[in-house]
Amino acid sequence: MTTSAVKIQKLSKSYNGSEALSDINITILDGQFFGLLGPNGAGKSTTINILTGLVRKDSGNIAVFGKDIEKDYRFTRSQIGTAQQELSIDWFFPIEKLLQYQAGYYGISPKNAKERIEELLNRLGLWSKRKSRLRQLSGGMKRRYQLAKALVHDPKIIILDEPTAGIDVELRHELWDYLRQLHQQGKTILLTTHYIEEAELLCEYVSIIHRGKVITEGAPKNLISQMGKAGITVHLTKWDDTLPALLQSYSYTQNKSQLHFTVKDAETEISKIISIISKNGCQIQRVETTKSSLEDVFLSLTGRGINE
Amino acid sequence: MNWIGLWTLTSREVGRFFSVYRQTILPGLISSALYILIFGFTLQQRIAEINGVPYTLFILPGLIMMNTLTNASSNTASSMLQMKLLQQLPDILTAPLSSLEISLAYIIGGTVRGFVNGTLVLLLGVLLIGLPVSSPIFSLGYIFIVAWTFSSMGLLLGQLADSWDQLAMMQNFFLTPLSFLGGIFYSIKMLPEWAQVLSFFNPIYYMINGIRFTILGISDSPPIISFWMALAMALIFFFSAVALMKSGRKIKL
Repeated sequence: MTTSAVKIQKLSKSYNGSEALSDINITILDGQFFGLLGPNGAGKSTTINILTGLVRKDSGNIAVFGKDIEKDYRFTRSQIGTAQQELSIDWFFPIEKLLQYQAGYYGISPKNAKERIEELLNRLGLWSKRKSRLRQLSGGMKRRYQLAKALVHDPKIIILDEPTAGIDVELRHELWDYLRQLHQQGKTILLTTHYIEEAELLCEYVSIIHRGKVITEGAPKNLISQMGKAGITVHLTKWDDTLPALLQSYSYTQNKSQLHFTVKDAETEISKIISIISKNGCQIQRVETTKSSLEDVFLSLTGRGINE
Repeated sequence: MNWIGLWTLTSREVGRFFSVYRQTILPGLISSALYILIFGFTLQQRIAEINGVPYTLFILPGLIMMNTLTNASSNTASSMLQMKLLQQLPDILTAPLSSLEISLAYIIGGTVRGFVNGTLVLLLGVLLIGLPVSSPIFSLGYIFIVAWTFSSMGLLLGQLADSWDQLAMMQNFFLTPLSFLGGIFYSIKMLPEWAQVLSFFNPIYYMINGIRFTILGISDSPPIISFWMALAMALIFFFSAVALMKSGRKIKL
């Protein structure tokens, strides 16, 4: 049986009477790449801030590898490395020193942290900047430093709060590759994001959160096939009147020689549709698919887009 | 205890102010030297002696205290507020550090700064005007207790404050007037009776007279009361600062 890395039960929190989280239940398995997806202000950051000890909960329980985050905070916090959404600023020390301090907070002496810090600086392309202050780094470098900071004590669980918010495409892909590597090494990753693409590409399991409640959860693929709708558009060279009878099991619309199918899973249906049409002797000019996404899942559950 | 964590945060706090010694150590020395030169030498000719001690010597223990307490309190207060405003606090709050460890690290940092500043002014007095120090161990011990007290108070204020403006208000409207009214530049015996009575409610009055006793052997307040007063304040502020940290009010949402 796979153990749970994080188990959140009936978690609630309100700020000045307005409810930020209500009865949230989330289970993240050890080694899972988990996404907490939702629009801005849905309660993603509140959830992880309670998990990491930055915000006090009103009620509910959170356990990390079976231990309570308040009673056993020394254990649970040492298992987690967090990259906050907001970048921190420090005027006083070079980043190598800052990483040394960060390791120290987790009880790792400078001597023992040295190798790990060198490895991280190299791996994240910051070695040549190790003597620089944070303000001397570019935005992308600051993000990478932040990741190094989260990883310096070699945590089992890595939490990233909107890691790719406001960064360019190239860096985003770099970061994704690195997160995949970490996941392959067996790390549990909890990512909050409002980028649909990010959650679909990276996460094995997502919880979609909206107005402080988990509205659905599951593997992105399953959620999409359950709730999403994909489209296949087939352009024929000429229309054949025998086609409607053959395609009656599909829901589609016809516009002259163009057929638009609405299916749950475009990948499996496209070959079937093509074979039915071509067997009948019709010639296909071209085929287009519009893939369904978690955006459609969110849309069908809430009636609005995730980034609206 | 997470000893390495405590040591790390403490050395960061100490390293922080040493790395900007032009802002944190030199100003106190320069202003004390100016006080000695301007107030001491010009007023000495008119005031001559207070309680049998030349005026320049009389004000020096007060200057030591003023430097100790302003440096100790501003170190913790500004460090805490800065960490809050610059998003550095999450790094510490998400680490496996207890509220006591975090508080101790800050307070030790502020105490070191207060102690270094107070001791440097003491040395300045010895070098510049031949200040006689009657019981150096007690003087240093007293500087330490006062530094601890105000470092704890600074941590309390730093947690409570939401902006630099609020912090400056607390320092300018309370700390500075109370230190000046605590008898740095005068003996309270020179004041009208009602003002003397008011001084008894000013904690800094006891601190100044306590250190003055360890250096010059003279004091407006009984030395034993000054000592207990300093110790009581040290404990009260220390435990309040730790309790506030533990509650998470003002630093955790």
